[in-house]
Amino acid sequence: MFLQQLVNGLTIGVIYALIALGYTMVYGILKMVNFAHGDIFMFGSFLGLFFMKHLHMPLYLAFLLSAAATSAIGVVIERVAYRPLRTADRIVPLISALGVSTFLVSLAQKLWGTEMHPFPTAFGRGTVTVGSITFSEIQILILVLSFILMLGLHLFVTRTKTGTAMRATSMSLTNAALMGINTNHMISLAFAIGSALAACAGIMVGIYYNAVYPTMGYMAGINAFTAAVLGGIGSIPGAMLGGILLGVVENLGGAYISTQYQSVISFTILIIVLMIRPTGILGKKDINKV
Amino acid sequence: MKKTGSILASIALAASLLAGCSANGGKQDADGAIQIGLAAPISGTQAQYGEAFKNGAELAAKQVNDAGGIDGKKVKIVIQDDKGDPHEAVNVANKFVTDKDILAVVGHFNSSATLATAPIYNKNKIVEISPSSSAPAVTNAGEYTFRVITTDAFQAAYLADWSKELGYRKVALIYEQSDFGLGLLDVYKEAAPKNNIEIVAAESYNPGDKDFSTVLTKIKEKQPDAIFIGGFYNEAALIAQQAQKLGLKTDYIGVDSLYSEALLELGGDAVENMKLIGFFYPGGDNEEATKFAEAYQTAYNSKPDTYAAYAYVATSVVIEAIKHNGADREKIKEYLKTLHDYKGPTGVLSFDENGDVVTTPERLTIRNGAFELYQ
Repeated sequence: MFLQQLVNGLTIGVIYALIALGYTMVYGILKMVNFAHGDIFMFGSFLGLFFMKHLHMPLYLAFLLSAAATSAIGVVIERVAYRPLRTADRIVPLISALGVSTFLVSLAQKLWGTEMHPFPTAFGRGTVTVGSITFSEIQILILVLSFILMLGLHLFVTRTKTGTAMRATSMSLTNAALMGINTNHMISLAFAIGSALAACAGIMVGIYYNAVYPTMGYMAGINAFTAAVLGGIGSIPGAMLGGILLGVVENLGGAYISTQYQSVISFTILIIVLMIRPTGILGKKDINKV
Repeated sequence: MKKTGSILASIALAASLLAGCSANGGKQDADGAIQIGLAAPISGTQAQYGEAFKNGAELAAKQVNDAGGIDGKKVKIVIQDDKGDPHEAVNVANKFVTDKDILAVVGHFNSSATLATAPIYNKNKIVEISPSSSAPAVTNAGEYTFRVITTDAFQAAYLADWSKELGYRKVALIYEQSDFGLGLLDVYKEAAPKNNIEIVAAESYNPGDKDFSTVLTKIKEKQPDAIFIGGFYNEAALIAQQAQKLGLKTDYIGVDSLYSEALLELGGDAVENMKLIGFFYPGGDNEEATKFAEAYQTAYNSKPDTYAAYAYVATSVVIEAIKHNGADREKIKEYLKTLHDYKGPTGVLSFDENGDVVTTPERLTIRNGAFELYQ
């Protein structure tokens, strides 16, 4: 049972990680929590569903198009709802983000209705048994694809010029601008990448649970945000680690203590970690610029 | 000249405003619609049930209005969104009781909201008739609190008897962490020993949870004959599907909260053979159910679920009460107390002295992706 629960935990953990990356990248640059990110994840899921159900596209195409469309949505949201408020007090964009979140949920409810939709794919129903562990196809897809996406992001951020520019921007917006980096582009890019990852997570969750619905971003968003804080918000490897850790702890806690206390256990861990390391596991100390 | 113009303009404006006022006032007097409140989770995590409520209640009003209304007066459903949240429900209840035009309230959806608001309705002596709150505690909520759904106590006890007939020895429970789920759990657990049933696991989840893999992996070890899902159809579909993915093979049983087309659509072949209690089953012996399902299909182009049917029944009995006893809050209650053998889409119903419904369920199962009477 332990190994099976570990697999279950890893599956949901990498999903948390993918969503957490969106929170952490935006926070890293703008020091702002994009509370609409969970709902962007929901939109990605719905768009994937739309491409498959109504336009009868294959799964891989749904992934690509939904990721593209969702990243466009993310960029537009930043442009419309956050950029005009960039110089405002920190609380202002936060409220704006809550507004965007409500807007996206209501829009989804108008467009697709309030009910749960099944994902129209036969993929993921089959299972593979290795010893005492049963993997479903979708679990394998989630684990493999998430790993590829995270590795890709890591290579992009550490090995490319644009990635370096993005890291520079997250270190200091002003200094990066002085070095000739177009920081607005970098911010848009962070939103685009974060939203695309969330869209992929959204589709995978949609298939995994066979359920897509307008309020699905709420809990997913909270958990992913927690994962980002646990790993150290602003840190990309931190978000990955935090997500996986949270998923595994939640599942093992549920398995060996009680499922009723699943959230209690994960949040207790969060509190303990924050007490010992206020910046999260891999977070760096924020140097306050005067 | 300019000045005169502006004075004229302001007089015209004032006149039009006044005209507007009197027109509105006149309109209200003229049609004097009979207003019934509907407290439902129109938004929030239970929004889809709220939508079913709205459709069911509005269909009942529409049918009466199409037939000429009550003494020539139209019936109007006034909807307030309680978001499925007990706190919000209290606000909604306070709004309703202070509006003298509201004659009775159909609602609330979940038992927690109904229980939270019962003191308000009872204090203000206005009928609150819940289509769906089945927690046993609602029985003693007050003499103005009615419901058209049987209690969880009744359904869980009935299910325990049926489990025995089906030959289940080991049953695992997965229940919602709410008044509703706990009510089912308590009664089933208590009824289990005398039906020779061993409860091998009892795991809860929070409304809106999606991941049951932890719970199901635990339950798989216990190899139960059946899993009793004490929750709603969305979760039931997820549980059955995730169990299939984990290679857990077992039977499923549940109460009428599972009855919905969505269960079939979301659950696919994983919910095949699931056994559940139902009160609303169109296509069987109950003509009212079939008629309602057809009318609903025409009106909304979709199949009604249990909650749409219950909301329709709750609204219909309030309309009956107004038809017979007049548009008076107190008299509606008096009528409901004496209502006997009312034939509706959810069966033949009466109310007992506590405002609880008395009716007999149907046994249903799922075959080839459709609900069927269990034989």
